Amino acid sequence: MDILIIAEYTLLAALAVFSIAAVRIATRRSIGMGLVGISGLSIAIATILILINRMYGIGFCRDIAYALVLLGPVGTIAFARVLRG
Amino acid sequence: MYLVILRSAVLFISSILVILAALGILRFRDDVKRVLYARIHILGIADVACILALLALGEPLLAATYFILAPFVSHAIANAHHYGEGD
Repeated sequence: MDILIIAEYTLLAALAVFSIAAVRIATRRSIGMGLVGISGLSIAIATILILINRMYGIGFCRDIAYALVLLGPVGTIAFARVLRG
Repeated sequence: MYLVILRSAVLFISSILVILAALGILRFRDDVKRVLYARIHILGIADVACILALLALGEPLLAATYFILAPFVSHAIANAHHYGEGD
C-alpha cells in the first residue's frame, strides 16, 4: 500500500475524532463555546471534503469545501459581533 | 518519490497535531475559570494543522484563505466573550 494513501486515511481518522470533539464542545452551555466548536468543526469538515475529493475523485466536494471555508468564518464573525452587542 | 514522502510526512504530522488538539480541547473541565480562551488557543493548533494538510493536499488557495481568516475568527470569539458574556 502506498504511504500517501496510509497518510490520507490517518488524517481522515484524526479529523473524524476532532470533529466529534468539536461537536461535544459546541453543545456546551455558553454561546462562546458553541462558536469555538463550530469554528473547529467547519475547518475539519472542509479538510475532510478535500481529502474525499482527492481519494475518490468526487469533484463537487472541493466546491463545498471552498464555500465552507469562506462562509464558516464569516458566519462566526457575524455571530460574534451580535453576541458582543 | 521524495515529494510523495514529504507530503506523507506533512500529513502524518498534521494528524498528530489534530489528535493532540482534540485531546486538549476536551481535557479542560468547564468549571475552570476563563476556559474559553484556553480552548481558542488549542483551536489554533488544529487550524494550523489543517492549513498544513491543505497545503500538502495541493490546495494552496484554500489554505491561504483560511490562514488569513482564522486569526479574525479567534479574535472575534474572544472579543465577544470578553465584552458580551464574560465572567
